[in-house]
Amino acid sequence: MGLAYLTFIPFIGAAFTTVSTRLGRYSSAWVAVITAAASLSLLLPLAHDVMAGQTIIQHASQWVPSLGLNIAFRLDGLSLLFTLMILLIGLVVIIYARYYLSPRDSMGRFYAYLLLFMGSMLGIVLSENIIQLLIFWELTSLSSFLLISYWQQREEASRGARMALTITGGGGLAMLGGFLLLGKIAGSYELSSILESGDMIRQHALYPYMLILILLGVFTKSAQFPFHFWLPNAMAAPTPVSSYLHSATMVKAGIFLLARFFPALSGTPEWTWIVTLTGLITFLTGAYIALFKHDMKALLAYSTISHLGLIVMLFGIGTPLAVVAAVFHIMNHAIFKASLFMLAGIVDHETGTRDMRQLRGLRKYMPYTALLTMIAAASMAGIPFLNGFLSKEMFFAETVEHGNSMALPWLLPLIVTAGGIFAAAYSIRIAHNVFFNGKAEDLPKIPHEPSRGMQIPVEILVGLCLLTGIFPAQIAGPMLSVAVTSTLQTTAPDYQLAIWHGVNPALIMSMVAVAGGILVYRSREALFTLQSRFDGMFEAKRIYNGAIRRLFNWSSSITMNVDNLSQKRMLWLLFVASIVMGASGFIVHDAPLAGARTMLPVDPMSAMVAFIMIAAAISTVVMHQQRFTALVLVSAVGLGVALTFIKFSAPDLALTQLSVEFITVVLLLLALFFLPQRTPDESDRLRQGRDIVIALLAGSGVAALSYAVLTREYSTIGDYFISNSVSGGGGANVVNVLLVDFRGFDTMGEITVLALAGIGIYAMLDKLKLLSPQQDEDGRPWNPDTHPVVMATFSRLLLPLALMVSIFILLRGHNLPGGGFIAGLVTSVALIVQYLANGVEWTRTKLPANTHPLIGSGLLIAASTGVASWYFSYPFLTSTFHHFHIPLLGDLELASAMAFDLGVYLVVVGTSLLILINLGLIHQVSYQPRITKKNLASPTTDSDTTPSRSAALKKVLPWKR
Amino acid sequence: MNAIQYDVMTALPEILVLCMAMFILLLDLFLKPSNRFLIYVLSQLTLLGAAVLTTVTHVPAVGYAFSGLFVDDPLADVLKLGVYLSTAVTLVYTRQYTALRGMFRGEFYALVLFSTLGMMIMISGQHFLTLYMGLELLSLCLYALVALDRDNANSTEAAMKYFVLGALASGMLLYGMSMLYGVTGSLNVSGVADALLSGAPDHGVLVLGLVFIVAGLAFKLGAAPFQMWVPDVYHGAPTAITMFIGSATKIAAFAMVIRLLVQAMFVLAVDWQGMLVIMAIMSMIVGNIAAIAQTNIKRMLAYSTISHIGFLLLGFLSASLNGYASATFYILSYVLMTLAGFGIILLLSRKGFEADRLEDLKGLNQRSPWYAFMMLIVMFSMAGIPPTLGFYAKFTVLQSALQAGFVALVVFAVLMALIGAFYYLRVVKYMYFDEPEDHSPIVAPVDMKLVLSINAIGLLILGMLPQRLMDVCAYAIIHSIQ
Repeated sequence: MGLAYLTFIPFIGAAFTTVSTRLGRYSSAWVAVITAAASLSLLLPLAHDVMAGQTIIQHASQWVPSLGLNIAFRLDGLSLLFTLMILLIGLVVIIYARYYLSPRDSMGRFYAYLLLFMGSMLGIVLSENIIQLLIFWELTSLSSFLLISYWQQREEASRGARMALTITGGGGLAMLGGFLLLGKIAGSYELSSILESGDMIRQHALYPYMLILILLGVFTKSAQFPFHFWLPNAMAAPTPVSSYLHSATMVKAGIFLLARFFPALSGTPEWTWIVTLTGLITFLTGAYIALFKHDMKALLAYSTISHLGLIVMLFGIGTPLAVVAAVFHIMNHAIFKASLFMLAGIVDHETGTRDMRQLRGLRKYMPYTALLTMIAAASMAGIPFLNGFLSKEMFFAETVEHGNSMALPWLLPLIVTAGGIFAAAYSIRIAHNVFFNGKAEDLPKIPHEPSRGMQIPVEILVGLCLLTGIFPAQIAGPMLSVAVTSTLQTTAPDYQLAIWHGVNPALIMSMVAVAGGILVYRSREALFTLQSRFDGMFEAKRIYNGAIRRLFNWSSSITMNVDNLSQKRMLWLLFVASIVMGASGFIVHDAPLAGARTMLPVDPMSAMVAFIMIAAAISTVVMHQQRFTALVLVSAVGLGVALTFIKFSAPDLALTQLSVEFITVVLLLLALFFLPQRTPDESDRLRQGRDIVIALLAGSGVAALSYAVLTREYSTIGDYFISNSVSGGGGANVVNVLLVDFRGFDTMGEITVLALAGIGIYAMLDKLKLLSPQQDEDGRPWNPDTHPVVMATFSRLLLPLALMVSIFILLRGHNLPGGGFIAGLVTSVALIVQYLANGVEWTRTKLPANTHPLIGSGLLIAASTGVASWYFSYPFLTSTFHHFHIPLLGDLELASAMAFDLGVYLVVVGTSLLILINLGLIHQVSYQPRITKKNLASPTTDSDTTPSRSAALKKVLPWKR
Repeated sequence: MNAIQYDVMTALPEILVLCMAMFILLLDLFLKPSNRFLIYVLSQLTLLGAAVLTTVTHVPAVGYAFSGLFVDDPLADVLKLGVYLSTAVTLVYTRQYTALRGMFRGEFYALVLFSTLGMMIMISGQHFLTLYMGLELLSLCLYALVALDRDNANSTEAAMKYFVLGALASGMLLYGMSMLYGVTGSLNVSGVADALLSGAPDHGVLVLGLVFIVAGLAFKLGAAPFQMWVPDVYHGAPTAITMFIGSATKIAAFAMVIRLLVQAMFVLAVDWQGMLVIMAIMSMIVGNIAAIAQTNIKRMLAYSTISHIGFLLLGFLSASLNGYASATFYILSYVLMTLAGFGIILLLSRKGFEADRLEDLKGLNQRSPWYAFMMLIVMFSMAGIPPTLGFYAKFTVLQSALQAGFVALVVFAVLMALIGAFYYLRVVKYMYFDEPEDHSPIVAPVDMKLVLSINAIGLLILGMLPQRLMDVCAYAIIHSIQ
């Protein structure tokens, strides 16, 4: 369990640091030190076993068993190396930051983030489970984001942090994809089994995809070309953060992963090419750009990129000796780069600037710092007796070795030496430019040596550079050997850690690099002017920004295409999508359109009705701008439907259809009256054509589907009702029996809804007055003769007749076509005709306008017939019927359902009248409220318009006197 | 226990919600505006009561009621609990918002409860008509809710569009159902499944029916190419309603997919898999790409929903219990994230001010570091970055799709998630690095602050310990789908 504690101690420490600031400003630094030391103390007992060659795997607990995930930790040579780096350099950085941060900065927050990062980083290197590893991986992205944005008020900090988070967080997601594939190939997410099944993984068909996804994660994290640009932008972080995250740890996480998966993934052509080439390009570009950066930290950032490229390239080459060089350089680079960042921080801290065009001659003010910088820079340049030299020489040797296997054996060493020259040049620059090079002037602050607290950490690291450089086998030997063994998962190759290997190509390359570096540095001014011409031309940040911009444009264009707020466009999309889906379903399955049923013969009558309907429907569309005509045409379609019902022996439906048609037309007329009289502009021809095509496609699709379904055999439920309607419901009219008996409960619900709708409309229209148009669109007043005498007289004559018919239909409904619903509609039609023909004023004096009692009593009657059956202990709405023998009339059958039908009738009449009358009442053309004394007593304010308006009204409404 | 008693017992939560919704509607007429708080309390109690009833009547087996029209299985119970929870949280978050905008009225609560009932029926529907009824009950309530702020032109326009398109989509769904009925002779979910198992008589018509059903479902879920209503409705509706539409209703739509595609038409899995693949790809493209250009956070979340639905569909692709369990996990995680995300928007809104532009989040860290951190978690979770819940959600569906062999699709989905991460992180950037444009203090009731914090922290905790939730999802699926 030691490893689990080791990993989680920093997280606990992070929680403590925020609290501990209350005990004084520096207490959080102490908490951080104790935390790191505690983790370290847990590591040491385990380290002993690992150094002896063991691999410690600790299963902490089951985590998500259903996904096959366990919390497990692994400590072997490689992870020990990284753990030590994380903890030791972490410790040094914590001390450094204690003196570096200014009193304005919140220490607690800083150390909390730093410990959070330390814990996440430990999690990465110690995880046995790769999904667990990924989680820690993303946690480092998150905590580094918080660290970079520590000085959040600075604009560059914001951009840098966001860029870092986008790139590394995104890379982590890509890696998730890679890990998923890897887990699928290896059959496990545990490193132990993945590392053993390298051969199987490499031969798997998914290997290339997986490799690319994982490498995406690695390269983004380790700032490899073309993802390298986030690292310099992340330099906005406080310098301790840069020296910890951007030299020793976070960027090394990608490298760690490369090393970790080396036995499982390496050795294929894909690996060699992608990894080596990426590393090489990064090595070169990083080294080149670094020389031209005037900001000390930017220079160091690019040099970090370059060194990371070097390590990546070594892993790409992939020979055991290359791995030795890579692992060794990981150690060395971490040490000298961390110290250089700290030194840059000291310079920044003491002078107030990092710009090397301003900085010069600091040796006079801070000689000791100058000495330390020179040693560290020399190590970076690869000068003998320093650790950087050793691994760099190994690197050169490997490139020579690898170059030999290629067509042009001199090419690779040549390129690499060129990179080495630039590396030497920028190393010289950081030492010489800052500390020599004339006299210091115009500095924001008068520099002096920093406090000891900032020097000691650097001293430790620089001391390590020297010690490793002089006694490599003693200082770094054992650690390197176990780390290499566990990286390779086999025994380490033979290698010599010595300063002198004799005169060999590598040494020559080293010497050429240093000599060339001096030359390049001397001619730097000319190079700077040359370079300034290309400034910003090949900057990857521009490519990133360009890519973001393109993404934005793409996004905008998609948005414009699918989401332009237009309802038309939405409908268009909906229809096209449905047509495409429907058609593809049909085409893919190649099913015959027609079924097995034979078609009925077409008689002339049906053909004619069908023709009329089609013609009316098409004319409606064509003439939709003349609304009243279109309305008439629509009703013609409705009549055609009614005729169709008659043709197929459904008189009930035909009757219903007819009366509903009438009421709907009246409703539409009432509504149309208030709508604008002009139709909106038509869309252009092209669009119309497009819409016609879509409409035709959709229409014919529906027709084809109806045809396909109707020509297939199907069973109906009709037979059951036909055979049971007389015996079960006592009625020969199946439709009516269905409504009032078999499905009585449904009907009950329906009339309730109808009544509710009516009352709802009443509530909404009550007191609503709309200003009605006084003239038609051409400015002509409405026809003054609203209620022609002939029509009025005829309608009055018709009323008793119609009422008689409706009662007849109601009574016969149970056995013959008819019923409460149709009868109700007929009555409503008869009454509405009175309103239409005689005007509201006249009709209101004859008929009660309040139809609420009608609706209420209808519902009551219907409900009580239902409840009545409870009295006879039957379920709700059970109906019964009985035959009565009445003299003269003979046999009369009365069913209880008829009472129910009466309820339906009343509700239908009440509701349809309620709706139509109230719709008619909202404007003044059909109804002008009586002018009472009260109204006259309070003249309206708009007195100038009143006379003309009332005159117009008089003209329009002749009954008004 | 006779049949009727059994039926009533099975549907007890539904009956409770129905009665309470009607009671609240009536009670509101007799309440003084100052006593409206009672309505709120009653609504919350109703949801609590329903949750208790659902839990108490839970058995790890499938039970049919109302002559096979209604089903009560563990999946239904789990999803219903999700609906109660998200509705209750919605009510907590929206109390202040609605009160400041004159929407703190009985209608709001009655409509929300009726929608809840609709969702419950959708979840428990075992018959195409039951499902359809639940769907329509929900949809009609939602149309009304979107237009609840009557004087807001955006809202009414959104409601209108939603209604027209929604009605068309419902029509398509019905169309598909009727074709399925024509071929199988049954409208019952298990009846259709049996009929299809015994040999489909007419595969062509069957597939056409399937096409229309899938189209209808895709519309309700908001999957491309039937996503066109989502941005407008999310944007136009009052944020409180957007939150409701974005959270609970997706659970119900998910349930409907399970009932229709998985339970009724499993035999046609090969056919619907193909359609879902296309819709998943399109949803991920449209959702992730279009989200980038949005300046309105509600619109952005609308597109993010579309892309999440794309991911959700990946879970169905494997057509395996494992896959459905991962999809269940995904939808529940999605709902939790959405709730927290909209919670923050509601938190920042105040009287006469909708915090619905991305700019409104600027400098949130300076105004309130705690809620900036909460939103950070939400955005990370939506982007699928560990250790948040969203990561596991993506992880499980990707894994299940991978097991079914959709390698290229998984790689594609990962790339789309990468693009998605970009716009979520942009929100983080606004919060942490930009200067706040308005400095007004954040005022919210204590309960809202508390629940919101729990909600967001929950994303983190569930992200680290997802096992329990995963077990629940797996349990629900295994005991409900044969």
